[in-house]
Amino acid sequence: MSIFEQRKLIESIHPFGLLSPTILDDLMQKMDIAYYPRGTLLISKTLSSIAFYIIIKGSVSELIDDEVYNFYVSGDSFDADALIYGQTEGKFVVDEDLICYEIKKDDFLTLLENKDVQSYFLQDFISRHQQLKEYHNQSDLSPFLIAKISDIYLHNACIVDERTTIYDALLRQKELKASIILVKTPTTYAIVTDTNLKEGVLLGKISVEESIEKIASKNVVSIDYNDFLFNALLLMTQKSIKRVIVIDKGEVKGVLEQLDLLSYFANHSHLVMVQIEKAENLDELKNLQKELKNIIISLDAKGVKVRYITKLIATLNEKIYKKLFDICVDEELQKDCALLVMGSEGREEQSIKTDQDNALIIRDGVDIELFKEPMIRLNAYLLDLGFPPCPGNVMVSNPFWRQSESAYKEQISIWVESLSSDSLQSLSIFLDAKSLAGDKTLLDNLKNFLHSNFSSRTDVLAHMAKAALSFETPLSLFSRFILEKQHENKLDLKKGGIFALVHGIRTLSFEYRIDVTNTIERIKALNNQGTFDKTFATELIECFDTLSSIRLQAMLEAKNLDEMNYINPKKLQKIEIDLLKDSFKVVNKLKKFMTFHFHLNMVS
Amino acid sequence: MFISLYANWKKKRNLANLKDPSFSFLFEEDSSGEYVVFDTETTGLDTKNDEILSIGAVKIKENRILTSQTFEIYLKNSKNIDSKSILIHGIRECDLIDAKDPAEAVKNFLNFIGSRALIGYYLEFDVAMINRYIKPMLGITLPNKMIEVSEIYFEKTITLIPQGNIDLRFDTILKNCKVPDMGAHNAVNDAIMTAMIYLKLTKEKN
Repeated sequence: MSIFEQRKLIESIHPFGLLSPTILDDLMQKMDIAYYPRGTLLISKTLSSIAFYIIIKGSVSELIDDEVYNFYVSGDSFDADALIYGQTEGKFVVDEDLICYEIKKDDFLTLLENKDVQSYFLQDFISRHQQLKEYHNQSDLSPFLIAKISDIYLHNACIVDERTTIYDALLRQKELKASIILVKTPTTYAIVTDTNLKEGVLLGKISVEESIEKIASKNVVSIDYNDFLFNALLLMTQKSIKRVIVIDKGEVKGVLEQLDLLSYFANHSHLVMVQIEKAENLDELKNLQKELKNIIISLDAKGVKVRYITKLIATLNEKIYKKLFDICVDEELQKDCALLVMGSEGREEQSIKTDQDNALIIRDGVDIELFKEPMIRLNAYLLDLGFPPCPGNVMVSNPFWRQSESAYKEQISIWVESLSSDSLQSLSIFLDAKSLAGDKTLLDNLKNFLHSNFSSRTDVLAHMAKAALSFETPLSLFSRFILEKQHENKLDLKKGGIFALVHGIRTLSFEYRIDVTNTIERIKALNNQGTFDKTFATELIECFDTLSSIRLQAMLEAKNLDEMNYINPKKLQKIEIDLLKDSFKVVNKLKKFMTFHFHLNMVS
Repeated sequence: MFISLYANWKKKRNLANLKDPSFSFLFEEDSSGEYVVFDTETTGLDTKNDEILSIGAVKIKENRILTSQTFEIYLKNSKNIDSKSILIHGIRECDLIDAKDPAEAVKNFLNFIGSRALIGYYLEFDVAMINRYIKPMLGITLPNKMIEVSEIYFEKTITLIPQGNIDLRFDTILKNCKVPDMGAHNAVNDAIMTAMIYLKLTKEKN
């Protein structure tokens, strides 16, 4: 049925998708298709609007005082305000021959009696877009991923007083069929697992008449009752544990078992983790790499927020780094160095393998040459595992990124003094450094050095900040994307949006001595200490999420590394296009903020 | 002059053959200012033996396609549908469950079009198919004025490329007129697309 296809088109345009089938059917009966040649004036101050237009093909400009204010293309609709308020400031002119659906004024006003439609058209801009985004999430988010811990079955917790005897505690445990025993101490909880029992009672020969606290372990990992299940999975994955204690308002609510949780997730990321841990050689790790990509694809398809996917992948990659570090570096040498990842890996934001950016700090007084061979080997293994080489050679195989602590300090001073673009880039990479293995205090020392000497240097900050403005946001005044001709009319997401955002946030974090490296965490920290207000911080986080998630899709589809950052807006869904346009507007807002904050219009 | 005289004479003779006076409205002067674009799906291309499977039509008024008054009807057939033609029109036996008796369907169609001018792509064929049903039933052929879009397209294009070989295939015209492809080809969709082509060709400003 042809009506069916027309219906599908209308349904794909928000908010019409919210309408019930009967209302939609009724609406279809009331719509005509109209054709207007180029130059037709549709609505103006004197020509009041007679219909609501939904563009099938062609484009329309909205002019205010003869300047283009908005631009509508296929899939867009206009103009609810003109119909609702009976007048408009603007002038709507057909830009390119227009074929559109028309809903007559009266029919449109009747339609507005529907609550969902009404709230969409009457809301202000920001909340309207939040609704768009929720709608988008809702359409492909499987319910279990937005499920909270409060939604899943929790095992009863067997809680006993610290003075209870081991024997009584075990009886109680049996009665409650609990897998572990929680021991309540005056201040906190301790845990007794089967391992504790084996080691304490059987091997340690502690009598079952002794009090239970003697064998309890203090390392209790807990999570809030209202947290997401996904975070519980992350927690278990990171700590390699099988259960977490669920706390609600300070009280133990129950025990979340890994088995229950895993049965929710199709891909057992935890299993991959354990396999990495157990891998004996490179080949075993290599096989696991393939599974990683599958995890990303399936998590993405399920609509998991990109920030959680990247976090999970970062955790897994971290394990791989540690494993390789263990394989390559002798145990004695391990404590005299620190292995760093920098750039996107340092920020925990790489999803599909992005270039490796890594470095090694060696303790002063230890022979640097001892690390040469192990690091070259580590680098070779990473390449072998499919971590692409860094084009700028920021890798431990390069002696420049394998130096002693004091040599790095000198290097940092040189970077800051010269302020050349190379130096600023190296400095930026270093600011995202995160220590994965070895002695972490080596990195802390360097960061302290950097902060105490340079974070108040406004000239350095200004020069860094300027880089954030160096690429134009690919959005024209008319809210149209600016595409790159040499890249098949695609859009450079990284250069146009992500870079400015990440770098801007990085510079601000440097100024305020914020130690976390993850962009979202940095934004939160900047909000906490008052640089951004809550609204702007939320906008930035949403914007970063949108850009990353669209980029992730591009990456999954890209055939080679060059294509990874380019997206073709024509392939995006209408909702994604709106979100993307909005995100670029937020990026522009941040750029303005940076210009003002660092007085950039005064720096040449 | 002569042509219109001949047309008038033919129309009169056609009217004289009308068996059912309740359909004389077909011969009245049109006052609605509307046009009807229509298309049929048939079992084949032989106007003598093939049958109509469905008729789709929309009205045009000024620059509007009145999709709010879309006409779509399926016809009962005497034979089983040839499996090869199913691939073209996509109409299966089971799609014809709600199909109307051919005589009733065609009468509905005549009531829908009234005396409005008809627009179509390769209209001659669709009209011949309709005539095959109404000639024995009412004694007449469709008296409405006919407008062929491929002809308008040809005339518009030939001024741009004289002596050019003009491709008149539907898809080509669709593409060159920048009319969106509505997806599946069925009678109503084709009628709507033809209507868009017509509007584009006649209302476009050069």
